[in-house]
Amino acid sequence: MVVSICIGSSCHLKGSREVVREMSALVKEKQVEQEVELIGSFCNGQCLGDVCVTIDGEIFSLKPEDTKEFFEKEIMGRIRG
Amino acid sequence: MLEANYTLENVKHVVLYEVAKRAFEGRMEEIEATLPYEMAPGPKANFRCCVYKEREILKERIRLAQGKDPAPYRPRPGIVQILRAACEGCPITRFSVTDNCQRCMSKKCQQACRFGAISMQRERAYIDADKCKECGRCAEACPYHAIADLMRPCKRSCPVDAISTGEDGIVNIDYEKCIQCGNCIKNCPFGAISEKSFMVDVIKLIRAGIPVHAMVAPAVEGQFGKEITMGSLADACKELGFASMIEVALGGDMVADSEAKEWAEAYEKGEKKTTSCCPAFVNMIHKHFPELIGNISTTVSPMQAVSRLLKQQDPAAVTVFVGPCVAKKNEVLFSHSIEGGNADYALTFDELQAMFEAKGVVLKAKANDFQQGSVYGKRFGNAGGVTKAVLRAFEEQGVKADVTVKGCNGALECKNALLLMKLGKLPADFIEGMVCVGGCVNGPGSVKWEAEAKRDRDTLIGGADSRGIQENIAEQEADRVPMHR
Repeated sequence: MVVSICIGSSCHLKGSREVVREMSALVKEKQVEQEVELIGSFCNGQCLGDVCVTIDGEIFSLKPEDTKEFFEKEIMGRIRG
Repeated sequence: MLEANYTLENVKHVVLYEVAKRAFEGRMEEIEATLPYEMAPGPKANFRCCVYKEREILKERIRLAQGKDPAPYRPRPGIVQILRAACEGCPITRFSVTDNCQRCMSKKCQQACRFGAISMQRERAYIDADKCKECGRCAEACPYHAIADLMRPCKRSCPVDAISTGEDGIVNIDYEKCIQCGNCIKNCPFGAISEKSFMVDVIKLIRAGIPVHAMVAPAVEGQFGKEITMGSLADACKELGFASMIEVALGGDMVADSEAKEWAEAYEKGEKKTTSCCPAFVNMIHKHFPELIGNISTTVSPMQAVSRLLKQQDPAAVTVFVGPCVAKKNEVLFSHSIEGGNADYALTFDELQAMFEAKGVVLKAKANDFQQGSVYGKRFGNAGGVTKAVLRAFEEQGVKADVTVKGCNGALECKNALLLMKLGKLPADFIEGMVCVGGCVNGPGSVKWEAEAKRDRDTLIGGADSRGIQENIAEQEADRVPMHR
């Protein structure tokens, strides 16, 4: 699955870099490098929410401190099916 | 406001300038609704058929300048984007018979055509566009070279055959094939293909007081005339609001030093390697020669090397590459690159110039004594430059390896060499891949093309001292940067 994290200025100021860092660490920790492709993306126009993350095109809004929980639920949840 | 004698370059640049100006002033609300009217007040059209079409094109360009999709209802992946409003749909049939046709008796064209598309008219041969499959056999067969191959410029410019035409005649990009090189952007005479920009993001972060650093590509010298030295650019970048400016030529030195070690090791083992600094070349391997991914040097690009150095010094730093390259914008979003101290954003020289103008920053002549890269690093942007630097690094490291390098100047040479490598028939040990002909100095995001900038570039680089690669890396305290992916 392709997980994109917005790196636009608005998301940057809300902590997108922290999300990127934590997510890449989690991908390695859970050994799902084959399943998850992490990429950066331009602004998706969702600047009113928190950091904009998409999973295969589906849009989510995420606070940096919730990254671990989000990863477990949305990403690992999808991998486990 | 746009003027009647404006060329495509002017229009593109003025849009960037106006958007940058508003971004610096914090006036981005309603920009897509108001700016097209300010720029094309009408009622007379200046460069297209009517003012309404012009405003639509401007709106699409304004969206791209902010990093958005040109049309909100048609999101497309990729940096390279189509401005549907600007596409002329070039209604040309690819092969047509010219006046050179002698209506000869051999009728080679007619015999060569497998689709019965060619008939003999009173004056000359005629190709029935409905039957023509554009195979080109007739053009090859004609003894008078009377059949012209008028492929659409966008399609002709694409080295990986990613461009097609829809039923409506509007250009279409196959993003599974596109390597984001930007050749089509450079070649569409109507400017119907352009690229997304991080310019507004960078301006917003500068305005927010974040330490944003400019990392300027080695191709920069000569872009702004012979008086504008690296020192001039460093001053101007600071005036613009960047925390500092650093020469990516230093990254070139770091890469040459690292690749020399990597190549020496590969040579010992009898393995073949390719360079990794041209992102369009790396995309070409990933998308068209995936079996060669393991042959790509694992050394990061000069951009990433310099970014890692800056973030070692200040973890809060935001790093922005500025160069002639469209594919670099893709590199910063790419999966291997989005963490680990790599670059945050990439801009083109054209975008940087628009920012200078928008902020009223004037580039001033300055003594040519600001130097962070060796001459070898500075030549990374010229075809053949990476090879020269790596060979010099061999010398400095005392490596005696009689390596041969296939220097690929332009996408077609890259494709041919990679094909040979894939078949195990490449005679050379290494490939230096540069997708732009001439190297980065002819990148689509340049202000001046190589031919125009060459003399000034040679003068400026000629003024640099003769420091060695390792000497420079040590002097810039860049010897503790992790250099691999």
